[in-house]
Amino acid sequence: MGKGRYLLKRLLYIIFVFFIISILMFFIYKLMPGDPVEIMLGDSKLNMKPDAYQALYDRTAEMLGVNRSLVEQYFIWIGNMLTGNFGYSTQYKQQVAQVIGTPMRNTVMLNMLAMVVVFVISIPLGIATAVRKNTAFDKTVQVVTIIGYSLPSFIIALLMIFVFAVKIPIFPISGVRSPGFSGTGIEMALDTLWHMALPVIVMSISGIGGITRYVRAAMIDVLRMDYIKTARAKGLREKVVVYVHAFRNALIPVVTIATGWVVGLFGGSIVIESVFLWPGLGKMLIDGLLQRDFAVVLTMQMFYVVLSLAGNVIMDIAYTIVDPRVRLEN
Amino acid sequence: MKKALCLLLAGVLAISAAACGGQQTVTNDQTASSSSSAASSSAAEETSVRPEQPTGQLVIGTTTAIENDFYDPSFNNNASNYKIYDLLHGLATVTYTKEGEFEYDPTVVKSHTETENEDGTKTFTVTINDGLVWSDGTPITAKDFVFQLLLENSDEITTIDGYPANGGVSIVGYDEYVAGEADAFAGVHLVDEMTYSITIKAEELPYHYDITYASAMPRPMHIIAPECDVVDSEEGAMITGEFTSDLLLKTINDTATGYRYHPSVTCGPYTLESYDTASQQATLVVNPSFAGDYRGVKPAIEKLVIKTVSNDTMMNELEAGSVDLLFQSSGADTINAGLDLVEAGKVEKTSYFRNGYGKIQFDCSQFPTDSVAVRQAVAYCLDRGEFARQYSGGYAAIVHAAYGLAQWEYQESKDWIDQNLETYEKNIDKAKEILEADGWTKNADGSDYSGTGTRYKEVDGELRPLVIEWANSEGNPVSELLSTMLPEAMAEAGMELKATTMDFPTMLASMQHTGDKIYNMYNLATGFATANSPWYYYSTDPTWMTAGYNSNWIVDQELADVTWAMKDTPYEDTETWLNEWQAYIKTWNEKLPDIPLYSDEYYDFYSPKLQGWDTSSVWEWSRAVLDAWVTE
Repeated sequence: MGKGRYLLKRLLYIIFVFFIISILMFFIYKLMPGDPVEIMLGDSKLNMKPDAYQALYDRTAEMLGVNRSLVEQYFIWIGNMLTGNFGYSTQYKQQVAQVIGTPMRNTVMLNMLAMVVVFVISIPLGIATAVRKNTAFDKTVQVVTIIGYSLPSFIIALLMIFVFAVKIPIFPISGVRSPGFSGTGIEMALDTLWHMALPVIVMSISGIGGITRYVRAAMIDVLRMDYIKTARAKGLREKVVVYVHAFRNALIPVVTIATGWVVGLFGGSIVIESVFLWPGLGKMLIDGLLQRDFAVVLTMQMFYVVLSLAGNVIMDIAYTIVDPRVRLEN
Repeated sequence: MKKALCLLLAGVLAISAAACGGQQTVTNDQTASSSSSAASSSAAEETSVRPEQPTGQLVIGTTTAIENDFYDPSFNNNASNYKIYDLLHGLATVTYTKEGEFEYDPTVVKSHTETENEDGTKTFTVTINDGLVWSDGTPITAKDFVFQLLLENSDEITTIDGYPANGGVSIVGYDEYVAGEADAFAGVHLVDEMTYSITIKAEELPYHYDITYASAMPRPMHIIAPECDVVDSEEGAMITGEFTSDLLLKTINDTATGYRYHPSVTCGPYTLESYDTASQQATLVVNPSFAGDYRGVKPAIEKLVIKTVSNDTMMNELEAGSVDLLFQSSGADTINAGLDLVEAGKVEKTSYFRNGYGKIQFDCSQFPTDSVAVRQAVAYCLDRGEFARQYSGGYAAIVHAAYGLAQWEYQESKDWIDQNLETYEKNIDKAKEILEADGWTKNADGSDYSGTGTRYKEVDGELRPLVIEWANSEGNPVSELLSTMLPEAMAEAGMELKATTMDFPTMLASMQHTGDKIYNMYNLATGFATANSPWYYYSTDPTWMTAGYNSNWIVDQELADVTWAMKDTPYEDTETWLNEWQAYIKTWNEKLPDIPLYSDEYYDFYSPKLQGWDTSSVWEWSRAVLDAWVTE
């Protein structure tokens, strides 16, 4: 009963925060200098007679609805958004729903693979370093992870390109697919995977560095607990002690990080996307801001707001799963 | 290791340049500017014979990502897509030649006549050649040309994503037709199966580039409006049948099947094989039905793949063979990296000067840059040669007025320019002298100017300081260099430079007076249109200013008169045109609405497998690719 009320309360909170943020975002973006109609019409201004251009401007402003008051525009926008109409992109001259799909797919695909690689490597590595605390292995991993964690990703990216695409050309430098590629679906998927290799490696290096250190710290804390000593005293095998008794209790900080990553699956990285020419949401958001393409920017921002708010609830629920001592109550 | 560091440094520089809104890194190289000029210099020597049949594949790298839009610039004016339109849609009746001139395309046009009517209008009648066909084999007739004029000026198409429908604004009857008040377009006629005519409004004549009025290109009516027909009447040509916005939404704008995204039937040198939305990569294959360009040249490369490349890594891509051609490379880091590959024998190069320049643009409606003297004084405070050299490292030239090094007028006037234009070499004493003569002779307290600090001038009984408000875009290397070179010199002359950094749309709003209207100068880059029309750019008519043509907001009757005189000069009267052009350039050089900073030297770098490559700033890659071939 307590859990249900808690979730209901959180849901109401999400709705409230969603509307407050939607109002703030909408008015902040709309008050930015720069006329989206002018930007959308681009060079037309210099190809048309002034009166013809003015007529076109008025027609376009009417089509976009930007000739109405800001309050009116807000209600129209939020009404449309809640019914699945995300508006019209002035930059791409298409409906937002039509232009956002492919970059979102690219971003999710890349982030998901990076996430899998990061967790598959960093969790066992974190556990191993905690168990072998202060050994040469632990110290080596500590140094390597801190380097991976500290280096800016664009430097790692350029180094990786230089080593694995220029000097030892085993991976492509950039892009999603080979130029002029044709083949079956499986061949195409393999080609895309091949192109994902370098960006995934770069994204994983900093991710592995961070999460390994989180897991290690959490495991070290847990391994000091009395119940671990009890488990060992009972004569349980070390693997059972570490992976069943200790690791589950060390999961809470890992869940926090993991939830952040899941939410971040939809967040593009402008650096990775620019260096590896991987058309994703990060570059789309920046381009949208620079082009005053408010429909695209607001859709993405509100999507991230919903994801973040929902992510917090999911994180709370996940805590109760990994640690039965945690209760979802008011 | 050295190369790795260079790569890293290049990455850092490229990222900072990318954040600046598109302005590119350049420098000045006086030697290069005097030796190469407009003619391209190529290190490549042809080592094979051009094949009879199209063969091979060329991967072209572009730094501007291609978008899924293949109709025309009115829908999408992305620079890369613009070139793809050229390759897909062809057979315009008036073309732009390799020498930079407009002429009727003899491959398309059988005959043409121009008739000056009694009411001051002018009729261009064009008969097209027999035997032209679409890529699906359907014959091309005059109906397809008239259909384009009717379609792209119709009120129906204006409902499709804000299509401007402005191509026919100079044609008689345009206003009624585009407003939907007339079914027929009065100034357009389908004379017979292979002939159309266009009548131009009297108020649009005479016009230097009036040959462009005769231009039309075919659109496949059987694909875009299959149930419709084009018929002629006394009132003009019209489209009959169910020609509606709903039809166009389906046949042009449907993302799954529409012509805008899937131009299935075209008549240019290439057809669109595929566009990969995930990788933003377009693949074009040769159109076997293409009749040839204005010289009759047909493509010899079977497949073109246009893929996006990054400034940071594009030379690596060329070296690795994942792209075959990088065009219009600029900036010292990029060019030097490319020249290293040339030296190593891995790639070839072609270079030419850009048809435009980077500049300081003054707002001449704002105090104190409304004064010619103040603008000239600012120019005398900047060592432009040193600026260009530091900025790029040897790959740019400086110009002294609104001309490009590729323009034929410049080529004809080199000596005249040397003798007649002020070069504004850095001279602080000259700047002081000009300011004194312009009345900037006071201190803040009204006493005579002491020789240090900001000068003041009495304007309408009020003392006003000589402060120049400068708006620049964030992360822009030109702004950063100007910030180190200008303020101190200007302060020495008695001027104060106040810089404000902002993003490009904000700067654009200020330039167009729709944002903060306080700035005196901006720095940005510009290119010259093929039909360069200075009479609009310096018109004193407020409508041309608010419309963005006169971006300097300059009201100077002398400059307006000297440019207006050019508008009426017949296109073929090159001698008169050249005299008028020189008069315009001389006046411009004196009035100085902009300070030209640099004109880039562009480099095309390409794989040795690419043969016959010959580009210039007026003959870009989408044209040059027809002459070229590849060896495997």
